[in-house]
Amino acid sequence: MASVALSEAEKVYIVHGVQEDLRVDGRGCEDYRCVEVETDVVSNTSGSARVKLGHTDILVGVKAEMGMPKLEQPNEGYLEFFVDCSANATPEFEGRGGDDLGTEIANTLYRIFNNKSSIDLKSLCINPREHCWVLYVDVLLLECGGNLFDAISIAVKAALFNTRIPRVRVLEDEEGSKDIELSDDPYDCIRLSVENVPCIVTLCKIGCRHVVDATLQEEACSLASLLVSVTSKGVVTCVRKVGKGSLDPESIFEMMETSKRVGKVLHTSLQSVLHKEESLGPKRQKVGFLG
Amino acid sequence: MPGDHRRIRGPEESQPPQLYAADEDEAPAARDPTRLRPVYARAGLLSQAKGSAYLEAGGTKVLCAVSGPRQVEGGERGGGPAGAGGEAPAALRGRLLCDFRRAPFAGRRRRAPPGGGEERELALALQEALEPAVRLGRYPRAQLEVSALLLEDGGSALAAALTAAALALADAGVEMYDLVVGCGLSRAPGPAPTWLLDPTRLEEERAAAGLTVALMPVLNQVAGLLGSGEGGPTESWAEAVRLGLEGCQRLYPVLQQCLVRAARRRGAAAPP
Repeated sequence: MASVALSEAEKVYIVHGVQEDLRVDGRGCEDYRCVEVETDVVSNTSGSARVKLGHTDILVGVKAEMGMPKLEQPNEGYLEFFVDCSANATPEFEGRGGDDLGTEIANTLYRIFNNKSSIDLKSLCINPREHCWVLYVDVLLLECGGNLFDAISIAVKAALFNTRIPRVRVLEDEEGSKDIELSDDPYDCIRLSVENVPCIVTLCKIGCRHVVDATLQEEACSLASLLVSVTSKGVVTCVRKVGKGSLDPESIFEMMETSKRVGKVLHTSLQSVLHKEESLGPKRQKVGFLG
Repeated sequence: MPGDHRRIRGPEESQPPQLYAADEDEAPAARDPTRLRPVYARAGLLSQAKGSAYLEAGGTKVLCAVSGPRQVEGGERGGGPAGAGGEAPAALRGRLLCDFRRAPFAGRRRRAPPGGGEERELALALQEALEPAVRLGRYPRAQLEVSALLLEDGGSALAAALTAAALALADAGVEMYDLVVGCGLSRAPGPAPTWLLDPTRLEEERAAAGLTVALMPVLNQVAGLLGSGEGGPTESWAEAVRLGLEGCQRLYPVLQQCLVRAARRRGAAAPP
């Protein structure tokens, strides 16, 4: 990840501040930075979203294409994740430098969606065993300012909420050959339910306390973090320890409780923002990259 | 040898027949949720590697080899800030490179060697779990290579690979703070799900959620944690972590004995 040069004195300052529940920018240990979410920013996709979390900037585009269902699950569609760490984010990502981080993030995204309840894959099926919708979720990392996983999961949820998949009908001939017909109305589409899509909450252990939404400087002071993927109902779908340090078992239990609390608040505010944006209708003023 | 595709027209891709077979209703036998399968561990068996270990737990067989410390290829970007706790500066710290491979015949279906995403993910999990235990500050500008080969997957493969890798590192004489012991868990689907310790392959396939815990037993610090699936609320995951940590503590004496035996063997074989 992007590295930042910090002196010993600055690290001690951050660590001591966190012990007193006071971070460098004045937040408490469980506060997020201001998040800006905007959907429908890219016109060529079935759904897209842009999230700005402090200095972290993520752009997600979802494209729905028709493909063959996987052999083990013939009645379901599936999602494919691809994460691209752009060289704009930090010079370390130039060339193939960002590939490792991109694969790690993509694997984490596969893991958090790897269960039956996150997204209704059966609704993506068109013809069992023959045709299904494949959602290609492409994540672009435009700027790296700490706490990548959280921002990416928020952006993926917003993009899936915004995804509009064209409605298709399967017509069967007398001979039994199937034909797929697209509906004439371009606005006739199916939407996905993102009620149970999880969001990742990363908790960084700094000293004896843990913080939510760490900036790059705080991440440099932390040796170990716990990544918890939690849904709006408090169900945890993925747990992972990140970093080169170790964690005390008691702190793991505390961090999981914190993630449940913080996750619920994150989900309710994200849902309300997404619904508010949608209620503004297609005539709303789009900010895009100019804001 | 390439097949003769012009005269013999076969299908483009071949699939194993089990996919099309009717569901075999082999429910896994009911068992004590806290039972650990008997473990066979042996260290110091490969002559070409600095340190090696073989671990067998039920049907899972893992072979791990460690080589190094070797000089790092390519210059590291120098001048990083000092790490927390007075360790050597970041540029001078050694590196741990982990590689996880599955043999093509390890699972039910044949998987060609470049396994793609899953193997990279497990290799990263190995690295994240072993780094807290190894004193990398004592190997400046060097790299240690750990490669784990899964010969047969009988359930909790990552946990077995973690344990074997820690044994191999200890056998290689790498300075460590403590051994790392791994334990796998899985949660059966159903209305009253319980977490099962050390699942077999059948239990893992039918599981709604899986978890692997890595513990440093003497320091009582969790070195690694990787889990996913419909695990339920956080209390359920916390209970699973506790069960896993207990399992790791129970496994530790076996590994201690294995290392002592390997040291004795090495002592007896060395010329006076």
